[in-house]
Amino acid sequence: MTYHEPSGLPLLIANLVVDYGAHRVLNGLDLSIRPGEIYALLGGNGAGKSTTLAAIMGFVPPASGEVRVCGVAPGSAPVQARRAIAYLPENVALYEHLTARENIQYFLGISSERRTNAEIEAAFNAAGLQEDAFNRRVAGFSKGMRQKVAIALALLRHVPLVLLDEPTSGLDPRATQDFNRLLGGLRERGSAVLMVTHDLLSAADTADRIGFLDAGRIVQESVAEGPDRYDVRALHRHFARPVAA
Amino acid sequence: MIAFKNEWLLFRRSRLGLVMILLLAALAIASVVAGLVEVDRQRAAIERIHPLQKQDVSAIANWVTKTGTAGDAAYFTFHETWDPPSRLAFAALGMRDVSPYLLRVRALGLESQLYDSENYNPELALPGRFDYAFVLVYLAPLFVIALFHDLISGEREAGRLRMLEATPGAGRRLWVRRIGLRYLLLVASLALPLVAGGIVAGAHLQGIAAMVGLTAAYMAFWVLVAWLIGRLNIGSAASAASMAAAWLLLTLVLPALAHVAITRAVPVNQGVELSLAHRDAVHGAWDIPQEKTMAEFFRYHPEWSDTPPTDGTFHWKWYLAFHHVADRSVAPQAQSYRQGLLERDELTRWVGAVLPAVGVQAAFTRLAGTDIQAQLTYQDRIRAYHTRLRTFYYPYLFNDRPFTEADFAKAPVFAPG
Repeated sequence: MTYHEPSGLPLLIANLVVDYGAHRVLNGLDLSIRPGEIYALLGGNGAGKSTTLAAIMGFVPPASGEVRVCGVAPGSAPVQARRAIAYLPENVALYEHLTARENIQYFLGISSERRTNAEIEAAFNAAGLQEDAFNRRVAGFSKGMRQKVAIALALLRHVPLVLLDEPTSGLDPRATQDFNRLLGGLRERGSAVLMVTHDLLSAADTADRIGFLDAGRIVQESVAEGPDRYDVRALHRHFARPVAA
Repeated sequence: MIAFKNEWLLFRRSRLGLVMILLLAALAIASVVAGLVEVDRQRAAIERIHPLQKQDVSAIANWVTKTGTAGDAAYFTFHETWDPPSRLAFAALGMRDVSPYLLRVRALGLESQLYDSENYNPELALPGRFDYAFVLVYLAPLFVIALFHDLISGEREAGRLRMLEATPGAGRRLWVRRIGLRYLLLVASLALPLVAGGIVAGAHLQGIAAMVGLTAAYMAFWVLVAWLIGRLNIGSAASAASMAAAWLLLTLVLPALAHVAITRAVPVNQGVELSLAHRDAVHGAWDIPQEKTMAEFFRYHPEWSDTPPTDGTFHWKWYLAFHHVADRSVAPQAQSYRQGLLERDELTRWVGAVLPAVGVQAAFTRLAGTDIQAQLTYQDRIRAYHTRLRTFYYPYLFNDRPFTEADFAKAPVFAPG
């Protein structure tokens, strides 16, 4: 995927407004992510996190403002925009009766992409999937293993933008740590990552920037600095404060 | 092509889908085999009747030649008529299970002979035959429901829908591939046994192609119904229930209501009532003065009016004459019965234009030559043959010519279509 955006940004959201009927869900959202940057978007229920992801993928039309994925407006060219996106839902649901390898081949096949077995295995290794799981049906896979398959898929597709929806919910601490390492791998490859999450600790561990979404707009943004990266207590205080009316 | 191969892999691995397709193929094969067996049985029965007919005629000839009476020959000799099944009859047996395909007629009154068959085997009319048309029209839509009820909702319920939709190249193309694959498998599981059956039966290519086309169109209709219901954004269970309701409505309830409406709109007496009316006319003839009956007969056959009159005692020419007069007396009812059947057939075709289940069934029996039209055509041939038969005996009866053994061989022979 080549970048067409003059700014070179995989994701650029400017003054985005999205309404569901009479209800305004996103209200002047501004957000941009650079290549190789991990951005964590935190917010309470109903803050507009999922709608932000839906707008990036072109599933909901903006009332005003704009979204650009590698310079492409998903609303007008969804297929082109989605070529630049890998999306991992909260629970990565794969085809249970296919093996991990076959799932990868299936999802790549949808977009008429083909990879060699060696490439797929390299992606599995990079995603940290155990070798004995490559050719096993995913029916018995844990959430963490399913995520690794989905990350391997994102790696194989060489996408500039990875969207993660609550990736660490339901993961135990070790699996969360594994997952955070995977994000590091994506960063090294130059992919921009937008992670929508409730998990403040995980966000503080991995994200380069953390934005707090409230009532459809980012009300505070923190940047990782120094060896401690963030003042987690301060972040928590902000995160736990009452939602704006 | 990769994507299509992957869809096939996905389908193959979901055991239920594969089992459904194999089960449908097994049902289609069973129905085709059952149809071929039934058609073979009918052909064998027709073949068997020819030597038996010769034996029967020979036995009658041995006895009749002793008296030399043409009336005895006309009265006792049954003449075979038959309606061979078409090459495509195996696919849709239609009326052939309840209407006769073999009828032995005498030169006596025809109308009661034509509908005699309505007095036996009525239980066959209840379940109907298990043929390809039955599997296609009534059972195949259930397999469409099984394969399509969770096509979209299943993905939503499994949590994959958003991930799929976010994948480039998904969207409409993905569903077209998925639906296309299932549709092709459904059509193949039905059409391949049908084509094989057609080849075994020696059917014309056009006929087989038309039936395959109907199969494809009917399946496309049900897939469209399933797709439209699937788009309602309801759960898999609700989707399956809605599709089952559509099946019930479109294949059973509405056709049954249409049948009742047609029956009420075009009242037609049963053939057996016609048969009874004819019998009453025949039995009543014994109490009518002979000259009155003969005068009536000469209206239809003036060529025999100059022959010697009957003397009030029994004579075969009077006997055959009152049988013919009885036929003519119920001719208006027979015509109205036939007209009623044709009108019902015409109305059924109109209903078939709206209800695919009715339309496809009617089209199959039409192509297979097993519909009401085919039945009436066979009746027409019997009528024409019966006329030849009567007129064959009349010269012997009205000219008091003796009927010899050689004359049996001169009797007209039925020619099937």
